[in-house]
Amino acid sequence: MASASPASSTSGASTGSTASTASTASIVSVAGLSVAYRSGGREVPVVHEVSLEVAPGRTVALVGESGSGKSTVAATLLGHLRHGSRITGGSVRVDGKDVFALSAQELRRLRGGTVAMIAQNAGHALTPSMRIGRQIEEAGGDVPVVDLLEQVRLPRPAELARRYPHELSGGQQQRVAIAMAIAARPKVLVLDEPTTGLDVVTQRSVLDLIGALRDELGLAAVLVSHDLGVVAHMADEVTVLRSGRVVEAAPTHRLFAAPEDPYTRRLLASVPRLDDTGLAIVGDAGQREVRPKVEVPADAPVAVSARDVTIDYGSSRAVHGVSFDVRRGEVLALVGESGSGKSTLAWTLAGLRTPSGGTMAHDAGDLARPAQKRPLSLRRKVQLVFQNADMSLNPRRAVGDTVRRPLRFFGTASSRTEAATRARQLIADVRLDPALADRLPAQLSGGQRQRIGIARALAGEPDVLIADEITTALDVSVQADVLRLLDDLRRERQLACLFISHDLAVVRGIADRVVVLRHGVVVEEGPTEAVFAAPGHPYTRQLMAAALEPDPDAPPLAEPGPDWADAAEPDDMWTDHGDGHRVRRWRAVA
Amino acid sequence: MTTLESPAVPAPAPAGRVAAATRAWRTLRSSRAAAIGLVIVAVHLLIALLAPVLTSYDPIANNASQALLGPSWEHLAGTDQYGRDVLARVLYGGRYALGVSLAATLLTMALGTVVGCAAALRGGWFDDVLMRVLDAVLSVPSILTLLVIVTALGTGSGVIVFAIGVVCVPQVIRVVRGAALAVVPADYVTAARARGEGTWSILRREVLPNITDVVCVEAAMRASWVVLLISSLSFLGFGADPPTPDWGLMVAENRTAITVVPMASLAPIIALATLVVGLNLAADGLSKAWGVDRIREGS
Repeated sequence: MASASPASSTSGASTGSTASTASTASIVSVAGLSVAYRSGGREVPVVHEVSLEVAPGRTVALVGESGSGKSTVAATLLGHLRHGSRITGGSVRVDGKDVFALSAQELRRLRGGTVAMIAQNAGHALTPSMRIGRQIEEAGGDVPVVDLLEQVRLPRPAELARRYPHELSGGQQQRVAIAMAIAARPKVLVLDEPTTGLDVVTQRSVLDLIGALRDELGLAAVLVSHDLGVVAHMADEVTVLRSGRVVEAAPTHRLFAAPEDPYTRRLLASVPRLDDTGLAIVGDAGQREVRPKVEVPADAPVAVSARDVTIDYGSSRAVHGVSFDVRRGEVLALVGESGSGKSTLAWTLAGLRTPSGGTMAHDAGDLARPAQKRPLSLRRKVQLVFQNADMSLNPRRAVGDTVRRPLRFFGTASSRTEAATRARQLIADVRLDPALADRLPAQLSGGQRQRIGIARALAGEPDVLIADEITTALDVSVQADVLRLLDDLRRERQLACLFISHDLAVVRGIADRVVVLRHGVVVEEGPTEAVFAAPGHPYTRQLMAAALEPDPDAPPLAEPGPDWADAAEPDDMWTDHGDGHRVRRWRAVA
Repeated sequence: MTTLESPAVPAPAPAGRVAAATRAWRTLRSSRAAAIGLVIVAVHLLIALLAPVLTSYDPIANNASQALLGPSWEHLAGTDQYGRDVLARVLYGGRYALGVSLAATLLTMALGTVVGCAAALRGGWFDDVLMRVLDAVLSVPSILTLLVIVTALGTGSGVIVFAIGVVCVPQVIRVVRGAALAVVPADYVTAARARGEGTWSILRREVLPNITDVVCVEAAMRASWVVLLISSLSFLGFGADPPTPDWGLMVAENRTAITVVPMASLAPIIALATLVVGLNLAADGLSKAWGVDRIREGS
């Protein structure tokens, strides 16, 4: 089992040893755990009678939406409770010891020595002013630093140990964090959203590494994640949490093949799949129905036409000669890893940066100029929706006020009372109760805030909407609602929508056409169905192969392509596959 | 919306202003230091306003026959070398100190807040040049700058307010700029920029409401500095002109007679000290209650 690839070991373990789990002595044992915190003089329970057993060499996933208490449970394994909260019942035993009965000194020995944690954002966990090697040394253990770095598959470990954290990429930082976690040879790994915030390709390689280490070192792992794709790929058993209670606990295969609880079913059904050809509509019992996309009429007018756009950050070029058209009523997806230039392109269209070359044309004027220099009639026609709904609304203003401001500013509403009425109408248009207009953003849920963000963008009556990763920070079920809202709105209002995302399943569900960007260069573009059915560029194939489906048995959508090199010539850049599907020329490298 | 969406908190919806008022009230109740400090300041303000009611003596009328008396029932704090009632002069003395300090603090805060926010918002060369100019101003000792300005332009209240502004505005700018820099990258500011809103309107609508805490704490702290600076000026003879009742001036006038009538010097010192302590308590209490760490904000 130690030498098996993580995918096959997962399936092997869960079919072979499901029955034997009970008989193996578990190293982590959480029994009837309840946690509550005090707020305003009363106790608010956050975790309610959660039980959990993990045997050595096995991985148990804690799954749930935000606020389900999954991170709280995971942190108790390290004897950590958030400030102000306390255990109201049950016990946590790790390696035979009751964690909350340990003295401060024993607790320190437990952390790192017996249980190690790999947190979400490794870049923040590393000390910026300390060389990598010294930080790993500090984590303790007798394993030489170079061996550890080699073990986490980092190239040139001796040289890397002398570098500082900022000189590494996000994926490399996460690997260093893993090296620190396994330095003292712990018995249990707690993985708290270990790959959230990483690119699909990097995510895949980090997960493969964690899986391989787990098998090599025989570690028990507790994985906390909201991403069911990651869970299906990594876990042997899954515990689904909702509002601090266990909804369902089952071996991974059973859970994904035949979820029993309606909540689990709805949760699973809400996850967009790579083979969905439209947006899924999820029923109360968890049945899913894929709503077909509407054909964009062939004569739909072009809303934005970009030609050979180049954008520079100082002396480095972020976008190299990108061209595309977006038509009214059409969703064009920009896909790529971080650093591919997709957000830069979006911000430039919104007028927050000035392109250094090329043209961006709109009926109402030239989009190559920054927002302050655009005429008002053009500014209101191109609107931006942001990724992080927490940051995109002014926390000190009622949300109704946030929506009213652009109405007054763009002159779409002439009087105060008209603005107030229109704002309430817009809030209703994004399927929210207009009574929410008087609330502050902090009083709304994440999904509601994102809807308000959309309402604010609609206030100028735009014909182009730029959606920059708008569903990335949302829970899956909320994500499905927001996506459906966006789809409805573009139909109703004939919006040209530029949809930026790194999530290929979401893109397949909503986009009519796809542009794949890599390092600021378009490598492939075409109708969504054509690109997904026959990805022509090795990079597109690599992205698709790395995407994780919420199904442990799902075959990859595409085989990773061969090693390749760019072969585009100035007068012969594209291989045309017909119907607008074209692929940048490349050649295989042996 | 599907049933999966977690239900929103069914809290009643207080409007922004009411919420802010409730918050301010809660802050006061939770922080004893802030409450005590604000009460001390309020008492000083009341005394200054009600001075004519509290004492029957004229603070500037000389009376040679009553000079240099110790405390008695007639003159609770004694009299000074010109026979003026010390208590009356202390009660009236707050008027000058508080009036000029209030004007100077308001001017300083208004100017510093606007310029500090603008620097954070505009960035670029404007920010760079401004910061270097401020560094230059801050490198000169404040009392020296004050004396130069007052010597050149005279000692009217207007000049003193202006001089205080020159000394204190740079410090306020630095603190406010630091706080505003944390707000400027937020997406709601970006959204306003993409709408093409002007600097002033972004400042007023998006940035200022989110740094009110910092501005309030800074105002309380700056006020205590200003009170001290103005009293120092009076003590050195560049502030209030005799025979105006003023604390700094009183200490300067009576320090030669401190062995004969100690109360004539001590009373204004006590008044000044309690006011400054009150302002500092208010600043510290507010900053702790609102979670504003003055060290973190710089300056």
